[in-house]
Amino acid sequence: MRKARLYMDTVVDIQVVDKNHSDEAEAKIDRAFEAFRKVEQACSRFDPDSELMKACRSIQKPVQISALLFEPLKFALEIAKLTDGEFDPAIGKTMEKQGFNRRYLTGDKMESPSAASATFRDILLDEQAGTVYFKKPLVMDLGAVAKGFAIDLAANELKDFDGFVINAGGDLFVRGFDRDGRPWKIGIQHPEKKDQIIDVIELSNQAICTSGSYERRNIHVPGMHHIINPKTGISPNDWVSSSVIAPFAMMADAFSTAAFLLGKEKGKKLIENLGLQGLFITSGLQKIKVGGF
Amino acid sequence: MAKMDKKWVVLCSTAIAAVYASGYFSTEAQANKIALQQPASMAVASTGGNPTSTVLPNASQTNGGKHPSHVNQAHGTQTKTKSSTTVKAKKPQVKRIYKDGTFNGMGQNRRGSIAVAVTLKNDKITNVQISNFAMHYSESDVVGLPGEVVQKQNAQVTNVSGATYSTQAFADAVQTALNQAKNA
Repeated sequence: MRKARLYMDTVVDIQVVDKNHSDEAEAKIDRAFEAFRKVEQACSRFDPDSELMKACRSIQKPVQISALLFEPLKFALEIAKLTDGEFDPAIGKTMEKQGFNRRYLTGDKMESPSAASATFRDILLDEQAGTVYFKKPLVMDLGAVAKGFAIDLAANELKDFDGFVINAGGDLFVRGFDRDGRPWKIGIQHPEKKDQIIDVIELSNQAICTSGSYERRNIHVPGMHHIINPKTGISPNDWVSSSVIAPFAMMADAFSTAAFLLGKEKGKKLIENLGLQGLFITSGLQKIKVGGF
Repeated sequence: MAKMDKKWVVLCSTAIAAVYASGYFSTEAQANKIALQQPASMAVASTGGNPTSTVLPNASQTNGGKHPSHVNQAHGTQTKTKSSTTVKAKKPQVKRIYKDGTFNGMGQNRRGSIAVAVTLKNDKITNVQISNFAMHYSESDVVGLPGEVVQKQNAQVTNVSGATYSTQAFADAVQTALNQAKNA
């Protein structure tokens, strides 16, 4: 059974291997989709009513937030620490200013207050109380973790199935085997030729996420796209595509973005040190593989 | 290959556990499910299914095979639409831009035609189901693949990992659905 819906400004496509098309399978797929709806409601930077945007409006006082926001934020902050702020969830305002401010279903544009100097160090979490505290006005962007997290929650909803794929606009988690009993075959999008793939891998019980500069570009400024170095305000262009395989989609999602941001030397090293598998593609379409990808 | 850093695996699994522990995800989703399914199950109660059976794991068995389950689905959609009309009728004084219900729209993307079913409630889009959508990459599309991969039998790669593509291609389809839903 296969169903697709729109969430998080992309297509979420769920395929489940079930021999008899049952209502049970359909109900479970619907519950898996709920994970995307809930995480989007909690973590969207484009919806003024999201938990994230509501929290961002309370400065210098602890705000209670749900686990659906707390957990991906905690993960993003850990990666910010690891990369010394080259990956930074406080980048929301920079993204807004670069034109990544449109709500996809309505076209409404966001314009939020923010201090110019805000970084992840201005976001404090209290694990015990389940609260977040902002030292300065800022806009959080969980674009590199929220979708991955939704995929992981959706995968948990589908855990009774022997084989399934959750494909959220090019970020995937696959379980078990396909209809023919083989590991799922996953193509890697060619960065320049829309209808082509540049590589194929076989995957089972893993997530693969790809960060690339070829889809969401800034149409006004050449070289700028939706991945921006928070320190320089400039889009890195060492890679055009960075794919990471990990046991969880939130991990694959965040580290593919982090490796894209860190670029040639440091990005490759990051994935090596973590013991993950990665495929990086340079602007000259050279493939660099790490960890036996 | 280096040994994988377990810290991140632990963070990811505790993140999932935290959501379930808070009860936020499971209970509310379950409640939604029941609320949505209730009219549907009542409509098919005559086929012999327990009214709550649609949310239970062995629902398909109690419905007894493929045919009844199809009937079940068709009834379900009709009743849902009906029930939302009733809700609307109760509050006629509110002037809404869109009718409540599910509306279909068509559009084109670079890989062919797409069809969406947009569900609206109180002027909010609650769901966008994609009813006709295909992303086909054939093996001949693969550039620079090692020979052994090309020779494999399975002709199609249906899942592709890539930078998240935007739904702009779907905007037309969503818009045509919204046009249909517009109150005069």
